[in-house]
Amino acid sequence: MTNHKLNTGRRRFLKTGAATAMALSAPAILRAEGTGAIRVGMPTILSGVVSILGESSVAGAKLVFDEFNASGGLDGRKIELITRDSRAKPEEAAKAVRDLVNGDGCNIILDAEASSGSFAVQEVIKSIGALCLHTVSEATPLSADPALHAPTAFRSARQGIHDAIGGGAYAAAVAKEKGLKRWATCSPDYAYGRTTTAEFMEYAKYFNSDIEVIGQAWPKLFQPDYTEVITRILQWRPDALYSALWGGDLVSFIDQANLYALFDQTETFSVNLGDYPVLTAVEQLPNGMRSGSRYNKVVPNTPENNAFYDAYVAKFGTLPTNWSWENATAATFVIEALKDVGTDDPVKLAEAIRGRTIASPFGVDGTLTMRAEDHTLTGYAVGYGVTTAEEPFMKDFHTSSWEQILELEADWKKRQGFA
Amino acid sequence: MTRSTTRNALIALAALVVLLALPHLGGGEKLADYIIFAAAWGLLATGLNLLIGYTGLISFGHAMFFASGAYSFGAIMQAQIMPVPLAIVAALIITGAIAALIGAICVRLSEIYFAFLTLAFQMFFHSILLSWVDVTGGDNGLLGGIPTPVFFGVDLNQPEHLYAFCVTVTVLAMYLMHRIVSSPFGFTLRMIRDNERRAIFLGVNVFAVKLTCFVLSAVFSSVGGIILALFISGAYPDFAFWTTSGEAIFMVMLGGLTNFFGPILGALILTGLNDIVVTYTDHYGLFLGGIILLFSLGLRKGVLDFVKPGGRKSTPAQPTADAKEATHADA
Amino acid sequence: MEPAALLDCLTSLSCVVTQTTSGLIIGMLFFLVAAGLTLIFGVLGIVNFAHGAFYMVGAYLAYSAYQVTGSYLVAVLAGGFGAAILGVLFERFAIRRVYGENVLLQLLVCYGFVLVADDLVQIIWGSEYLSMGMPQAFRLPPVFIAGGIVPPFYIFIITVAAVFAAVLWFIIERTQYGRIIRATAVNPTMVSALGIPTPLIYLSVFALGMFLAGMAGGLAAPIRALTPGMGFSVLIVSFVVTVIGGMGSVTGALVASILIGLVRSYGSIGFPLFVDGLMYVMMGLVLVLKPNGLLGRQEASRP
Repeated sequence: MTNHKLNTGRRRFLKTGAATAMALSAPAILRAEGTGAIRVGMPTILSGVVSILGESSVAGAKLVFDEFNASGGLDGRKIELITRDSRAKPEEAAKAVRDLVNGDGCNIILDAEASSGSFAVQEVIKSIGALCLHTVSEATPLSADPALHAPTAFRSARQGIHDAIGGGAYAAAVAKEKGLKRWATCSPDYAYGRTTTAEFMEYAKYFNSDIEVIGQAWPKLFQPDYTEVITRILQWRPDALYSALWGGDLVSFIDQANLYALFDQTETFSVNLGDYPVLTAVEQLPNGMRSGSRYNKVVPNTPENNAFYDAYVAKFGTLPTNWSWENATAATFVIEALKDVGTDDPVKLAEAIRGRTIASPFGVDGTLTMRAEDHTLTGYAVGYGVTTAEEPFMKDFHTSSWEQILELEADWKKRQGFA
Repeated sequence: MTRSTTRNALIALAALVVLLALPHLGGGEKLADYIIFAAAWGLLATGLNLLIGYTGLISFGHAMFFASGAYSFGAIMQAQIMPVPLAIVAALIITGAIAALIGAICVRLSEIYFAFLTLAFQMFFHSILLSWVDVTGGDNGLLGGIPTPVFFGVDLNQPEHLYAFCVTVTVLAMYLMHRIVSSPFGFTLRMIRDNERRAIFLGVNVFAVKLTCFVLSAVFSSVGGIILALFISGAYPDFAFWTTSGEAIFMVMLGGLTNFFGPILGALILTGLNDIVVTYTDHYGLFLGGIILLFSLGLRKGVLDFVKPGGRKSTPAQPTADAKEATHADA
Repeated sequence: MEPAALLDCLTSLSCVVTQTTSGLIIGMLFFLVAAGLTLIFGVLGIVNFAHGAFYMVGAYLAYSAYQVTGSYLVAVLAGGFGAAILGVLFERFAIRRVYGENVLLQLLVCYGFVLVADDLVQIIWGSEYLSMGMPQAFRLPPVFIAGGIVPPFYIFIITVAAVFAAVLWFIIERTQYGRIIRATAVNPTMVSALGIPTPLIYLSVFALGMFLAGMAGGLAAPIRALTPGMGFSVLIVSFVVTVIGGMGSVTGALVASILIGLVRSYGSIGFPLFVDGLMYVMMGLVLVLKPNGLLGRQEASRP
C-alpha cells in the first residue's frame, strides 16, 4: 500500500457519509407499538425508473390504513404496513413475499408489482396461501386464466380487457363522427403494450368496421429517443394514433412529437395520458388529445372522490396516481373483510372478499365489486376524455357502460378458452 | 491424490449433513429460503469464477447461462415430457450447446474485448427472451408455474423436499467444480492465466482448453438458474439482464476470487446484505451502493483473499499485479 | 421486414430529408455522451460504467437551473459544469484509487456510484417524471426542407454537437494539451518522467468527459423525461457506439454515432423490429472482426 494515511482518511470520509445517509433515510418499517398488530406486507418497486409506482402505491394504502388505525383499528388492533423493495425483479418479489409471510408473520399481502412480478407473487401465493391483492398488474391472464387461479388471490387494479372494450367503443364513436379511418399505433414493445394495443384495435374495429390499422410502431421500454418512431408515424399519414406508452416514456414521446407537430395532424388516443404525474410533467400538453381514465379528481366527479384527492395531497404533498387508487381500494377491501371476519385468517378473509361490494370513491356508481367468479375488480371508472392544458386536465369525460364491458368480456373469455 | 479425493468427498458429505440439519435447529423457513437463494447465486458466482479466477477471462455475460438453465428447465417441465432429473440434464445440455457456440466466438478475444463480446451476446439473448413470446412468455416470464411431478419419492412441491434437493444439488455441483480445479485440467487453466505463451510453447491447445472451461463454467452457472427456477416456480427475463451478471461479479469480488469458496461466501454475504437493506430501509441504492463503494475503495480485496493460500497450488492468484499499483502512486 | 417501404423512402426526397435529419439528431446526442466515454477509456484506461449517471445528474441540474433562471443556456452550462465538478470529486476520491487495477474493481466502484447517485437523485428531486419543457425560443413550427420535416430545435442541437465535435478534434489534435493527452494515453510513465503531472491530466480528461455527458443531459432535458435511473439506457447505446467506433477514438465515436443514428432512423422503416438487435449484431461483428473498432488505434499500453 503506497499511501496508508490517505487510505484511512478516505475510509473515515466514506463512513461519515454512510452515517449521514442513514440519518437521512426514513426507516421502512414503523413497527406498531405493542403486540397484536395486523401485519400487511407489500412488495413493490421503490427504486429506479418506475420508483413512483412504489411510492404512490404505498401512499395510497397508507392513507386508508392510517385512517383506520386512527379510528381505533380492529378492536384496538392496528394495521402495520411492511414494504419491501423488489427493484422490479420478479425473483426478489417472490422471495420478499415468502419472507413477509414466513418471517414477518404477514397473513395479508398487497402485491404492488408490475406484471412479471405479479405472476411470480401469484405462484408463491398458490403454494403458501396468504391473502393477496394484486394492486398494480393490469395483465388480463392474472385473473382471467383459470390455470393461474389461486383461491386467496384477488386483483384490485384495472384489467386490460376492460379498458380495451371501453376505449374501443369510444374510439369507434369518435372515428365515425370525424371520419377517422386510417389508424396507426405506437406502444412499448413488451407484453403489456402489445396485448393492450391489439385488444384496443380489435374492439375499435368491432364497433366501427371502417377502421383499418395501417402501421404499428413498437419502441422499446425506457427508450430515450423516439425520433425514428415519430418520423415513421409521419410517413404513414394516419388519421388517428393509438398509444399505450406510459410514464416517463409517454412524457418523452409527447415532448419529442410536439417538435414535429404530430398531434396537430392526427387525432391521438393515449390510454395512459390521463394520470397526474404525466399530465403535470408535460410542459406543452397539446389540447384535445384523448386519454383513458387513470386517476382524476373529477372522474367520477363526486364529493367522495374530491375528498380522497384533497386528503392525499394534504398528507403526502404529491398528486395521487392510478396506482394510488388501486392500492387504496385494496386496503379498503382488507379493512372491510377484517371487520367482517374479526381475525386475519387468510381463508376466511378471502371468503369475505370474494364477491364483496364496497362503497368507494372510485366506483362509477359509488361502489366497487370484487367479482366472485374470477377475483377481479369491476365497477371502477373506465372511459375516455379530452385533455386540457389546465387543471383538472380532463373535460368531456365519457364513462363507458359496464353492462357493455361485461357482456363483451364474457364473449372474449370464451374465445380465449378462459371460460 | 486418492487420499485427498476421499477426504474432500467426506468434507462435502459433512457439509451436506450440516446444511440439511440447519433449518431444523432454528431459523425455519426463512433460513431455508435464504440458503436456497444464496445457493443459486453461489453456483452462478462459483461457475463464473472458473473463468475469472482460474482462467483470467472476465465474462460480463454469465447471466445468460443462468437464464438458459432456468428457462430450458422450466419450459421442459411445463411441456411435461420428462421427469425432473432428466429435465435438469437436458437443460444442462442445452446450456452447454449454447455456451459452446458463443464460447467458440468469444474465447479468441482477450481482456476487455472478451468482456464486451460476452456482454453483447447477453443483451442479444435477453432481447430474444423478451421477443420470443411463444416459448419464453416474453416479459411475463414462464407463466403458470413450473410443475414438478414426484420422482423417486421426492416431491418438490413440499418445502422440506425442495430444500433438501436444492442443497444436495448445490453441494454436488460444488464438489464437482472442486474436483475440476484440482485436476490436471485445472492446473492447465491456471497456467494459461499466468502465462498463456508458456502454455502454447508446452503444446497446450489454448483455444480448446479455454472453450472447455467456458462451457463448464456456463453449465455450472446454469445449475444455479435451475435452482432459482425451482424455488420461485418460474423464470423471468431479468435472469439474463446484465445486472444479474453484475451482482454475480460482485459476489466473486466480495468473497474473494483467489479462493475456491470465495464466490459462494460472497453470495451468502450479498444475499444477506440485500435482505437486511431491503428489510430496514427503502433506500436500497444508497446503502448497497455505499457498501460497494466502501468495499471496493477500502478493502479492495475479497474476504477470503486475506486468507493466505496455504501452500496449495490449486489456489488461483489475483489477476491484478501488485507491481502495476506501485507505478501508479496517488498524488 | 418492409424492404419496399425502405425503397419508397429512399426514392422520395422528402423522406430522405426527414429520416437523415432524424438519424443525425439521434446520433449527435449519443455522440456527446459517447465522446467522453471513449476519451476516458483511451487516456485513463477506465471503462466508466458511471457515465450514464453523470448524464442523469446533468439533466437534473439543468432542470433545476432552468426552473430558477428560465434560461436554457444557463441550464445547459449548469448541467455540464455541475457534472464536471461531480466528476472531479469522483475521480479524486474514487476512480483514482483504482487506476491500473483489476477491471472488476473499477466496475464495482462505478456500479456503487450509480446505485448511490440514482437513489440520491430520487431523494432530492423525487420519483415523479420531470420535463423541462421546450424553451420559448424554440417553440416554433417545424420547417419543411424539400418536403422533409425538420424541427428547428433539432437543427440547433445538431449544430451544437457538431461544434463540440470540431472543438474536441481541435483540442486533441492541434493543441499542446491534446498532444500531452495523446502521449499520456500511449505512455504515461514517459509523460510523467518529462515532468508533466499525469494525475492532473487524468483529472482534467475525466472532468472533460463528465462535462460532455452532463451537457448532453442538459441539452436533451427539454425532450426527454427525467427519472431516477434514466442514465442507464443512454449508457448502453453509448457503449455500443464506443465499441463500434473503437475504444479510445473520438473520431470513431462520431462516425459510429451517426452510423447508429442512421441505422435507427432508416431501420425503423425497413426493419422496425430488428433495429435494436442490429445494433448488438454490429457490435458483435466489430468485436470479432476488428476488436479495436472501426477507427480504433492498435493496442496501447494503459496507465
